[in-house]
Amino acid sequence: MSQPILETRNLSKAFGGLIAIDKVDLKIDTGKITAIIGPNGAGKTTLFNLIAGVYQQTSGEILFNGKSLKHPPWYARAIKRGLNREILGDKLQRHVSAHMRASLGIARTFQHVHLFGNMTVLENIMTGQHTRSKYGFFGAALRLPKARREEEMINLNAMKYLNMVGLGKHANLNALSLPLGQQKLLAVARALATEPKLILLDEPGAGLNALEKRELSDLMKRIREIGVTVVLVEHDMPLVMGIAEWIIVLDSGRKIAEGTAAQVQKDRKVIAAYLGEETDSAEG
Amino acid sequence: MILAWAKRKWTYFAIAALIAFLVLIPFDWFLGRYTSIMIFVGISTMVTVGLCLLMGYTGQVSLGHAAFYGLGAYFSAVLSKTYSLNPWLAMLIAAIATGAFAYIIGYPIFRLRGNYLAMATLGIGLIMWVLFNQLSQYTGGPDGMHGIPYLSIGGFDFDTNFKRFYLVWFFCLAILFLSQNIVRSRTGRALRAIHGNEAAAESLGINVTQFKVKIFVLSSVYASLAGSLFAHHLRFVSPQSFDFLSSVKLVVMAVIGGLASIWGAIFGAGTTRFLSDEVLLGLNQYPQLDIIIYGLILMLVMIFMPEGLFVAIKSGTLWLRVNWRNLPAIMNRKRKELPNQMKYILGRLLFARLWRRTEP
Repeated sequence: MSQPILETRNLSKAFGGLIAIDKVDLKIDTGKITAIIGPNGAGKTTLFNLIAGVYQQTSGEILFNGKSLKHPPWYARAIKRGLNREILGDKLQRHVSAHMRASLGIARTFQHVHLFGNMTVLENIMTGQHTRSKYGFFGAALRLPKARREEEMINLNAMKYLNMVGLGKHANLNALSLPLGQQKLLAVARALATEPKLILLDEPGAGLNALEKRELSDLMKRIREIGVTVVLVEHDMPLVMGIAEWIIVLDSGRKIAEGTAAQVQKDRKVIAAYLGEETDSAEG
Repeated sequence: MILAWAKRKWTYFAIAALIAFLVLIPFDWFLGRYTSIMIFVGISTMVTVGLCLLMGYTGQVSLGHAAFYGLGAYFSAVLSKTYSLNPWLAMLIAAIATGAFAYIIGYPIFRLRGNYLAMATLGIGLIMWVLFNQLSQYTGGPDGMHGIPYLSIGGFDFDTNFKRFYLVWFFCLAILFLSQNIVRSRTGRALRAIHGNEAAAESLGINVTQFKVKIFVLSSVYASLAGSLFAHHLRFVSPQSFDFLSSVKLVVMAVIGGLASIWGAIFGAGTTRFLSDEVLLGLNQYPQLDIIIYGLILMLVMIFMPEGLFVAIKSGTLWLRVNWRNLPAIMNRKRKELPNQMKYILGRLLFARLWRRTEP
């Protein structure tokens, strides 16, 4: 059995007194499409934000490819060299920050599309290639050969991802002039352009019509084929049941069930969570 | 075919025409009497380009840029006069020191956003102004410093306006080209991404804070270079040139030029400079009138043309080119709509929000 690409151990997050995520243990298998479902307020988006590094966990640990995301590399190195934790200050940026996680290979999309409205469709995706290129202010200002080479590569890759989601002919339109369905596809393409190992899709199907949803699930299958693990949060049950190979159910911050679509559908706790039944006997 | 080629390369033609125009300006038979003003336009353009990068592209407000402008000027003045350093070396040291200062204050400042950031930069501007006034054993206090040496290269002194015009515009155009390249690159996209949506930018691996600080440093270095040129041009610096009002003037220049257009900076700086030096100077009996006028311009541009006057004129000419055939019909329709339009304009005036929020 291969190593899970993402693992959380005892992961908790509290906002003041409200416990949004309560000791969640997850294993996301490499190369599969995993769905996280649950009623409103179950903590799905909070979980995504924890994995992507937007929030810092209250306790517990996240492992990506077997490595903990608790400390950035420089912190670990400093500890190894014998620097005292008190000197470094535990309050100092402890976890691997969001932009570093992106370069490690965790990409995400947002519930509200969050495209860059001041750019064209193509530029949005080119921005996604940020971590896969290196040149900085000097290279850019003086147009060094390295910068030009990289820029050519960025352009090619961006067109590749744009064609992958079928928006090739809209490359030079303003990103926000697209209809919502295509905006969502563009957001996925932008996340893909970071060349991730794991992509987190936050409600990709919300607000799409039936046709667009079918396109979306086709796209997710194609993403899996190029070797990217897909995790999605979704409310649309037919979409989830049709595509997800593994389903994790959250309810009020806790994991209540996981399994294949058939297993989850039969689970009493899941039915109870969605229909609001009493579950005294189930807890034992 | 030649026409098609010309159409494709029209930016090169535009730039060549601009440079030719600039080269001819200081000659007496052309626009010689504007040489002195055009030097200041060049200097202001340098600062404005930095502000455009910071405000227009990255979406971070700075109301204290005169501080860096002044730092550059005073570093150059003190080093080259009091310590009789080579002016070029003084200029270099000034740029490095100002950049370092911006870097140090950048990290704490860019934890702030929006209005709070504006307040913090305002504070820096005020503090620097007080320091220029009070450190009088170095800066000469409110009376300023006289007798700063000219710049010179190997015995060639930049001792007349004619010569300094080319010096200043060489620097100015160099900065414009470099900035243009930055804007159309990976770095420029990262900056615009930060303006567009910080959370999304972060999720794509862009180190938002670091980029904000870097562009802040870059714009402060531009301002410092401009300040040095200012000091070596006028041979006199005083705190009045770097007070809060001059920070506001710089913002006005950036706004008129169109915050998100590099070449608009020349237009913004030019309009503002000519307005204050040519038009308003005639109204000497109302000494503070220019402040009111700048305030009005800032308000009106922000309400009606948030992309800036330059961009508005550009899109206006485009509209005219597309619609000039049915112009009479359109004018006729507009005349009928005029009462409604007036209501709309009144509404915009009453309910406008000056700063559009970038973050939800």
